[in-house]
Amino acid sequence: MREIVADILLGLAAAIVLASSAGILVMRDPYQKLHYVTPTALVAPVIVGLAILVQSGLTENTAMTGLALVFVVIAGPFLSHATIRATRIRQTGDWRPDRARRDGSAGDRS
Amino acid sequence: MNGFLIAAVAMLIGTIPCGIVVWRGHLMSALVAYEAISSIIVMVLVLLSEGFRRSGEFELAVLLAVLLLGSGLVFVRFLERWL
Repeated sequence: MREIVADILLGLAAAIVLASSAGILVMRDPYQKLHYVTPTALVAPVIVGLAILVQSGLTENTAMTGLALVFVVIAGPFLSHATIRATRIRQTGDWRPDRARRDGSAGDRS
Repeated sequence: MNGFLIAAVAMLIGTIPCGIVVWRGHLMSALVAYEAISSIIVMVLVLLSEGFRRSGEFELAVLLAVLLLGSGLVFVRFLERWL
C-alpha cells in the first residue's frame, strides 16, 4: 500500500514538472514563464518529500530530503521576486512606476 | 527500476524544454528557465539517492539546494545592473 501511494505521489510530481517545463517553453515573456516556475519550485518538492516520507517513514534519508526540499521551497519565491524585479528594471529603468520610463520599451535587453 | 528512478528520469526529460529556452530564448527568459532547471535537478538528485538507496548522496542534493538561492541571486543582480 505504501509503495502505491508513493508511486502516485511521484507520478503527480513528475507530471507537474513536465507540465511546468512545457509552460516555460510555450509562454512568450519572462513574466509569463515565471508563473510556471512556481509549481516546479514549490509544489513538486513538497510532493516528492511526501512520497519519500510515505515510502521510508521517519529516517535519516527523509530528514535529508526534507532539508534539501525546504531550501528549494524557500529559495523559489525569493528568486521569482528578484527575477521579476530585474526584468522590470531592464525594461523600464526602475521597478517603481513613477520612476519608470514611460515607453516601457525593452529594446534588446529583454 | 523503481518508482523513484522512473520519476527522476521523467523529471530529467522535463529539463529538455527548459534547456531549449536557455539555449534559444532571450536573456531573462533563459534565467527563468535556469531557475526551473536548478529546482528540478535538486529533486532529481533526491530521487536518485532514494532510488539507489545511497544515503550519502543526499548531501549532494542538500548542497545544491543551499547554493540554489545564492547562485540565482548572483545571476539576477548581474543581469539587473551590469549585463
